[in-house]
Amino acid sequence: MAQNSPTAITRRLRRKETISSYLFLLPSLVFFLGFVVFPMVLCLFTSFFDSNLNATTPDRFIGFQNYTELWKDPVFLKGLKNTLIIVVVSVPVVTAFSLWIASAIYKMKEWMLSAFRCIFYLPVVTGSVAVTVVWKWMYNNYYGVLNYVFKGLGIIETNINWLGNPSTALWCIIVILLTTSVGQPIVLYVSALSNVDPTLIEAGQVDGTTKLQNFWKIKWPQIMPTTLYIVVITTINSFQCFALIQLLTSGGPNNATQTVMYYIYYTAFKLYRFGYGNAMGIILALFIAALSAVQFYAAKER
Amino acid sequence: MKKLSILLLILMVMTAVFAGGAKEEAAAGKSISLWTYPIGGWGDEAQVKALTDAFTAETGIKVEVQYLTYSDGDDKVNTAIAAKQAPDLIMEGPERLVAGWGASGYMVDMSDLLDAEDRAELNPATLSACLTADGKFYEYPLVMTAHCMAINLDAFKAAGADKYLDLKNRTWTTDNFIKAVDALYKYYKVPVGAVYCSGQGGDQGTRVLVNSLYGGTFTNAEHTKYTWDSPENIKALKQLYAMPGIVYDPAINGGEEINLFRNGTFKMAFCWNIAQQLTGDRTDAGEEIVFMSFPAQNGVAQLNGGIWGFGIFDNGNADKIAWAKQFVKFMCDGPKTADAVKTAQYFAVRDKADGKDISKIWADNKIMNDYNVLMKFLGDYYQVTKGWPTARTCWWNMLQSVGAGNDVTASVAKFAADANAAAAAAK
Repeated sequence: MAQNSPTAITRRLRRKETISSYLFLLPSLVFFLGFVVFPMVLCLFTSFFDSNLNATTPDRFIGFQNYTELWKDPVFLKGLKNTLIIVVVSVPVVTAFSLWIASAIYKMKEWMLSAFRCIFYLPVVTGSVAVTVVWKWMYNNYYGVLNYVFKGLGIIETNINWLGNPSTALWCIIVILLTTSVGQPIVLYVSALSNVDPTLIEAGQVDGTTKLQNFWKIKWPQIMPTTLYIVVITTINSFQCFALIQLLTSGGPNNATQTVMYYIYYTAFKLYRFGYGNAMGIILALFIAALSAVQFYAAKER
Repeated sequence: MKKLSILLLILMVMTAVFAGGAKEEAAAGKSISLWTYPIGGWGDEAQVKALTDAFTAETGIKVEVQYLTYSDGDDKVNTAIAAKQAPDLIMEGPERLVAGWGASGYMVDMSDLLDAEDRAELNPATLSACLTADGKFYEYPLVMTAHCMAINLDAFKAAGADKYLDLKNRTWTTDNFIKAVDALYKYYKVPVGAVYCSGQGGDQGTRVLVNSLYGGTFTNAEHTKYTWDSPENIKALKQLYAMPGIVYDPAINGGEEINLFRNGTFKMAFCWNIAQQLTGDRTDAGEEIVFMSFPAQNGVAQLNGGIWGFGIFDNGNADKIAWAKQFVKFMCDGPKTADAVKTAQYFAVRDKADGKDISKIWADNKIMNDYNVLMKFLGDYYQVTKGWPTARTCWWNMLQSVGAGNDVTASVAKFAADANAAAAAAK
């Protein structure tokens, strides 16, 4: 009798649903554990070893030696500095530019809005290799369109080796990064701005608010979750800037475009120092986590 | 019942996913995998298929080929090694197969394929580069060449710089090289050649250029120490930096330099060899391309060699190792050696293979015959020096530093010290 009581049936049903839910989760969980959690743990573990590609010499436990070496490595410090420059420049620029564009287009007719969304999103869905090849051609010292245009306009007298000059190379990378980073934030901001409650804006207008006040007091708080997401994602993407460096400059000239992410790759796959590379990866992850936490905290306070 | 069906479906999908690899392996039968860098026609699927099909027809062993590029080939191989997924066979040079993966304990010693007859037939310098100090044979060589440079002869003639060339012997002296570049620069008013240094691609060209100008060397004769901090090399680096017709360009690599040479931007290319010459002996504008030795004080440069052959990864499968050895013997000392050599577009490392004379396989090719004039300048194969991957990186970083106007002596000293530290640390 007790087995067929309503409580027992509910409990059985709930258990079955729970099991089904976990079964549906299982494939994703397997991949998440296999391709995210396990490599993370392995990365942390290997960072305490002198690990290389040599099969004849086993990995040697060296404690925190890789971590202490990092802070004495001028190339790593240069890479960290460059990475921070990329983050500090690209995050505010991407956020502000995306918000500006989204504000300008979100009230347009549907077909125009779609056209703009498509245009700005195009570099995001275009393969990074294709984007890079085009930019490399534009920056080319000998026949690049940039030198051609600037010389034609009288801005420069002789060709500039954009990617070969330590003072311009990093900025060239940042420009490309910006073009490939603004697409998603624009789409998100357009959506967020469209969802702002119009009655609040109308109420504000009745109370005599200016356009600026409308934005800061009504729209801005309502799009804050979107802004937070964009800032965090752009920060992470900027910290992980790799493909552009790999395809355009290999970190040169003279480490002028060296980033932590590229240096990790270089250390692991060119010098075969896997332990040292993993230690860098851990430090990079800590930087990203710390900055994301600060951003979440700042947004929460606001 | 429905839930049971769903559960079964999930289990079937997961089983299929995880068991797929094993099924594929079982269905393949006798097969080996070959990864090859783009060594002439060995980077072209159609040409390689003709060779592997011949091997399969003879032995019944299938060969699955993957084509690597020099830009990311090393990364792919190293990742595969780390994941214990290395191919059975690989085609490249001793710097990777002997000094790299061989020294790291990943390759199979093929000494059993090397009998007295092979030792007598193989080019001694080539054989020496494929053997370790303790006699392990990690690479069975197939082809070799001497890397050289090229000039745009029509441009030289237009600038009146052709008088500085010894076109018969394809040599020139350092003084004449300086005069020629000067004449070209005065005529075209833009740099006519580049010390490219964006990465390691084509770095054999810049190494020999710097070494040969004033008789410097890259390593010592014992291949234990990098010697590019010598006064001769420093003098050469300073000389190149002082020449307005030569630019240190950290934005291009060897391949890009070749493109700029072919499209007429540069009038000389330091990254060249017979494969380039065979690809096309005219620029895009139809001007004549002439291969040359690098300039040297007495006109006789020590050219850097290229050796390519096969190595076998020790994946712990005795059958596959045996099949891979069959493949190596078939290509390097068997019925298809002549075709394998011609596919690579380089010179054979032996005169006889499988008892047949292969010394005249290029007799019908004028360019290959002409190129023989450079083969006698082939110098030391130093790419097997320990710490080679780090040394290569240090080299182009050093060039970038010099090109940025930093003190040459200090830059060279720093990067040579880093390279030597890597050599000393290499086990």
